[in-house]
Amino acid sequence: MTIYDKTNTFPLVSMNRVLLFVGLALISGIGLSFGIHSLLVGHDHTFGTSREVPWGILVSPYVFFACLSTGLCIVSSLGQVFAIETFQPIVPRTVFLALITMATGLMCITLELESPWRVGSYALLSPHQSSNIWWKTTIYSLYLIFMVFNFMSLALQKKKRAKVFAIIALVTVTMGNLNMNSDMELLGARGFWSENYMPLYFLSLSTLTGCGAVLLFSWLGKAVSNQTPSIKDNEALKATGKLFMVLLLGILYFTGVKVMGGFFPQFTKNPEAMALLVQGSFAPNFWIGEVGLAVLLPLALILITRGNNSTVLALAGISCLTGVFVLFYDLVIVGQLIPHYFQYHVVDLPQYYSYSPSLHEIMITTGAIFFFLAAFVLGEILFKKVYLS
Amino acid sequence: MKIKDLEKLDNEGVENLSSKERRRFLQFGLSITGVFLGGSILSLSSARKVQAALSGGNVPMTEFPYSPHYTMVIRENHCIGCELCLEACRSTNKVPAHGYRTTILERSIPVTEEQRRRVFMPILCNHCNHPPCVRVCPTRATYKDETNGIVRMNPDKCIGCKTCMAACPYNARYFNEAIRAIDKCNFCYDTKLKESGGKITACAAACPANVRIFGDLSDPESEAYKLIHAPEKVIWVLRPETDTLPNVFYMNA
Repeated sequence: MTIYDKTNTFPLVSMNRVLLFVGLALISGIGLSFGIHSLLVGHDHTFGTSREVPWGILVSPYVFFACLSTGLCIVSSLGQVFAIETFQPIVPRTVFLALITMATGLMCITLELESPWRVGSYALLSPHQSSNIWWKTTIYSLYLIFMVFNFMSLALQKKKRAKVFAIIALVTVTMGNLNMNSDMELLGARGFWSENYMPLYFLSLSTLTGCGAVLLFSWLGKAVSNQTPSIKDNEALKATGKLFMVLLLGILYFTGVKVMGGFFPQFTKNPEAMALLVQGSFAPNFWIGEVGLAVLLPLALILITRGNNSTVLALAGISCLTGVFVLFYDLVIVGQLIPHYFQYHVVDLPQYYSYSPSLHEIMITTGAIFFFLAAFVLGEILFKKVYLS
Repeated sequence: MKIKDLEKLDNEGVENLSSKERRRFLQFGLSITGVFLGGSILSLSSARKVQAALSGGNVPMTEFPYSPHYTMVIRENHCIGCELCLEACRSTNKVPAHGYRTTILERSIPVTEEQRRRVFMPILCNHCNHPPCVRVCPTRATYKDETNGIVRMNPDKCIGCKTCMAACPYNARYFNEAIRAIDKCNFCYDTKLKESGGKITACAAACPANVRIFGDLSDPESEAYKLIHAPEKVIWVLRPETDTLPNVFYMNA
């Protein structure tokens, strides 16, 4: 009740914003209802996954939102934990975004499970500490709780308490992010990604998406609220833009390493998968999504405007986020498409397994994205005061 | 350059070689000699390390960690692809039509540039000693039986994350919609193996060509043990590069 009293801005809310929220929530509901249907009838009937390709597109939004949340937590910690004054104006919104992105990610992975009702009991009663999946889910669930407390403390103006939760959340989510890499590496038996640079790549990508999301949603937040950003807000966004550019250059280097791996097998541990990504049927995804949208276009936009235009920064942010989503899709799917017995001259074995997301999977993914957008608008409606503080 | 041309050249001698290069050459020679003599006397690295390097990082085990240590030997060249084993597996273990616990792949192995040899390769869960599927399971729904080494499933604990399917290098698992859990070969643990007192599996019993030899790796009297330990036979496992230490062995006998 106290939080509500301190943050309540309902009387000032315009009908348009409420309608926007209802519209987004409705689309989200329609999308997620496909997930409920899949749970009832079984994924065999509704998903495009198979025995050979057991992980589908739903793993991608999970990885994407979890990494995005990590990045947002890192960006928020610059102002909150490391007390860099320039970044302080964007802290509350960034913390809220980090919270809802992780909630969205966990929702995606729950809908990806065939029997999620067993998670509650057996993740606690029969935990497997050697399993990265168990650690990852546990760490991210704990992180979500810490971020809720972090945001509540910020809303209540308890800055010291908020800082403590922010530190714990930062440590927790960094552990989770590094665990994400081990998770994929463990599946090296399937030609998944086990390159040496992966931990740094994951962390850089996460921070990059975090910066991109801050640039985009700060601009959107102001647009939704019809506000003119203050000088301090603009300075914070400019600083985020600079960090964004440095990270883009870093990711450009990693993308170059991928290109080398795709053309020259000696540079990679997964030559078949890398060739499929860079030169094969996934090449449009790679060159348009991972290279063009994720790195080159945002970099060009920032360089042309010298990072001074917040609208262009937001555009760079959405381009980067779209590209990185494609990147995570490729990351999850491509490694699985290399047949298990490809070196055994098996008759009628395809060169690559195939996978296409089904309508249900696409609708659930759409529902999850709209869930995040609806939660963002709800945050703009409910926590305007906290964001301005 | 041809040998005849080489012969025409003047001998450079060894006077100009630096002592560093000489030492490196001698060290290289001694290492090779040591490795090929197989002992740890001349070799600069111990025999144990050399063995580990040759076996892909895993030192061969001298003792079997389970008793009985169930295994299967596939006599690949005997297989005629009749698929009676698949039928037996299906009916014995109530395997639904959309999945399988074991299957037979047909290989077309190049012998020369123009000739190819057709071979049937039965595959099933390899009940690995380092099973990646067990390592990744978050709820211990899949586990290594501590007594006999069979990789088993407890369907009640399976959350359907399918990480074990993604981790298995042998494509040995599928999701059984009827029980909402992963299903896989368990050497007929709760069916044929139980009925036979631990002697045989349904697929091995059904095979008319005696391709699948089920047995106990810790029992020197077991046929599987004898086949695996026959010094004149070449034995291999599938996908050894994944370091899973499989308990299903292949041979031509």
